Amino acid sequence: MTNTLTQIFKIPDSIKKGAKFSFCPGCDHGVAVRLVAEVLDELGLRENTIAVASIGCSVTLYDFLEVDSLEAPHGRALAEATGIKRARPDKFVFTYQGDGDFASIGMAESMHSALRGENVTAICINNTTYGMTGGQLGPTTLLGQVTTTSPTGRNVEYYGYPIKITEHIALCDGTAYAARVSLDTVPNIRKAKAAIKKAFEIQMKGLGFSFVEILATCPTNWKKTPQQAHQRVREEMMPVFKPGVYKDITANN
Amino acid sequence: MTECLTKTNKKILTKGNYAIANAAIIAGCECYFGYPITPQSEIGEFMSGKMQELKRAYVSAESELAAINMVLGACSTGAKAMTSSSSCAVALMQEALSYAASDELPIVLVSVMRGGPGLGNIYPSQGDYNQATIGGGDGDYKLIALAPATVQECVDLTYKAFYLAHKYKNPTVILADGLLGQMMEPVEFGEYPYPEVDNSGWALTGAKGRSARVIRSYAPSADNQCEFLNRLHAKYKMIEHNETQWEEINTEDADIILVSFGSPARNAKSAMKECRKLGLKVGILRPITLFPFPSKRISELANTAKKFISVEINMGQMIRDIKLAVNGKVPVELINRPVGNPPSVDEIVERIIKESEE
Amino acid sequence: MEKNFIIAGFGGQGVLLAGEVLANAFMLDNKNVTWYPSYGAEMRGGTVNCEIVMNDSEDVSSVNKSDADFIVALNQASFDRFLPKIKKGGWMIANSTLVKEIKTRTDINYLFAPVTKLADKLGNIRMTNILSLGVLAKISGLVSLDVLEHALDTVIPPHRKNLLPLNIKALKIGYEYDLSPVNA
Repeated sequence: MTNTLTQIFKIPDSIKKGAKFSFCPGCDHGVAVRLVAEVLDELGLRENTIAVASIGCSVTLYDFLEVDSLEAPHGRALAEATGIKRARPDKFVFTYQGDGDFASIGMAESMHSALRGENVTAICINNTTYGMTGGQLGPTTLLGQVTTTSPTGRNVEYYGYPIKITEHIALCDGTAYAARVSLDTVPNIRKAKAAIKKAFEIQMKGLGFSFVEILATCPTNWKKTPQQAHQRVREEMMPVFKPGVYKDITANN
Repeated sequence: MTECLTKTNKKILTKGNYAIANAAIIAGCECYFGYPITPQSEIGEFMSGKMQELKRAYVSAESELAAINMVLGACSTGAKAMTSSSSCAVALMQEALSYAASDELPIVLVSVMRGGPGLGNIYPSQGDYNQATIGGGDGDYKLIALAPATVQECVDLTYKAFYLAHKYKNPTVILADGLLGQMMEPVEFGEYPYPEVDNSGWALTGAKGRSARVIRSYAPSADNQCEFLNRLHAKYKMIEHNETQWEEINTEDADIILVSFGSPARNAKSAMKECRKLGLKVGILRPITLFPFPSKRISELANTAKKFISVEINMGQMIRDIKLAVNGKVPVELINRPVGNPPSVDEIVERIIKESEE
Repeated sequence: MEKNFIIAGFGGQGVLLAGEVLANAFMLDNKNVTWYPSYGAEMRGGTVNCEIVMNDSEDVSSVNKSDADFIVALNQASFDRFLPKIKKGGWMIANSTLVKEIKTRTDINYLFAPVTKLADKLGNIRMTNILSLGVLAKISGLVSLDVLEHALDTVIPPHRKNLLPLNIKALKIGYEYDLSPVNA
């Protein structure tokens, strides 16, 4: 062994030097942030990017990414992204939000950004709960799911139905790309990365709103091991939140 | 009305709302985000046409929450950006204002007050003095608050709002009322009279050739937050020292000093003149900056005046700041109208006569 | 010297526009002036008014005064409402096409002119407002016909400029209306 070593694995430049993820063990946030960083690297976007962090577990995004970042109030990330993009259309702008931020408190901002066709990208981590506050019922909590505020499970009578976010976003005329992906297996992680890349490219081409919903685990609040948590993603979440590309205006061209 | 855009020194008769909007354009406002509400809708209407014509950013936001947060986003890049709204809708913006104060972002907000609480009505009011000067957002923060009393001042203070917001990296509110917004007076726009502030040291532009910048308010460490708040408040002290502005007439020998801002100050001024004709020693102090408030000057005047009277269109909000400044040296009274047009000149004169007999 | 004017009538009679023309005229005359509309939850067809305060020496301070030097009432409701607000020796200029000629106050001057009828005769009933402005200009002696014409040109937007000659005609008819004021 003298020379010709090939590096096959490295920490992306878009990840802060020496950064250590502070997410719970087994949480998919770390994987998602890494995928975003890899794509920023591959597309050469890092130095031209302004990221918008949201409230919840996703708030610390700016501690891990070596990109200019703004922290938005709860639910308002896409309003901030709209303001940034309209002020500086040449910048690459994306939000990184949880399902509660994106589809509950921020539903109006999210939906209207898609309807206006804002040329930004939104990444939404769907883990069916409010993670940072200790696992309460959120907009995507599944029917029957036990949380700290649905102690006997989500029932329709008291809580109504969970929202299928990607399907709704795909219906907006201003949406250019909308996909749901999962991080439960290596092939699915590859698909997730491809979707993020596609969404970013859509923005780079100026085609309109691009959106990726990422099904993710919350082992701490689900009270499961990482393996059990991924099993839940497959067995309970995917039948309701079906992965796939729901809209891609570039698909037939 | 979009024709009124001009940079010449020709006088133009225009409404307070249009004056503010046009001044913002001349000040170089790059982005306007808004949601309609009476009595300030003319601002958004004017901006919608003019900003598109000038290829600047304009969004009809889905709510006031979205509008102010779009401003926050735009300002994070160092852009000159603004929104405008009124009372019950400015209430919706308080969270973002607190974030912007903590983020030290140069937001410009035009607040044309209407009657409250709740939906209230669309008549003139000053019920949001507290909203602007104390704030409804969380934490210890301050907005710079400017209060025009004439349509010309709507222009001048709009220029100043953009300048101060960027100079001090602090959200700044232009606090007008429905009367000023709807009133027409001759104005001269001239040129934006302030130097451009260099935002390149902090604005988000993409981390090219430097380490990444983060604009955040999340402060998990208590020690860091103590340090930050001390620094923030040192900035407020500096603003107080440098930027306190007021108008003062006939106060030197005055027994009674009227204190009034915005449109009621106009009636108070007329009343003061009437009283002087009657031989009563009455003066007026009109705060132009509400934060910073001219407390120091009021405190000095409390050594010579026998009484202060606050004239407001609310149940008495600014009177609290006057009392704090006077600090018990002399009585502070209130002449108010809860909502609507300001107390009339006759009403004020009558009350001054009564107060001077006591 | 400070003088104030109230112009009042039905919504749609062009009350606010007439006020704006008058205010512009004072501005063009290098006087200080403030225009302030009544506003609120007003309906189309309801009464509307605006106040114009002119000061030839110092800034206009107060508006929404308790009384006025000149009142132009284009309908009966406005006449009834504003009659008590006229200063002693002040003027009530009333549109006699729509207002009954009854003089309950004896300490003011009245002028009843059939401005709507005159506007109709001119060929456009919508000239009522500008016609009454001509009458007001003559009676008050505070603004000249030339300046008012200039003000009309300032206020009428480019896409309505074709209406300028008719407006000027209306102004002149009002100005030349045989006044012979009736002192009650």
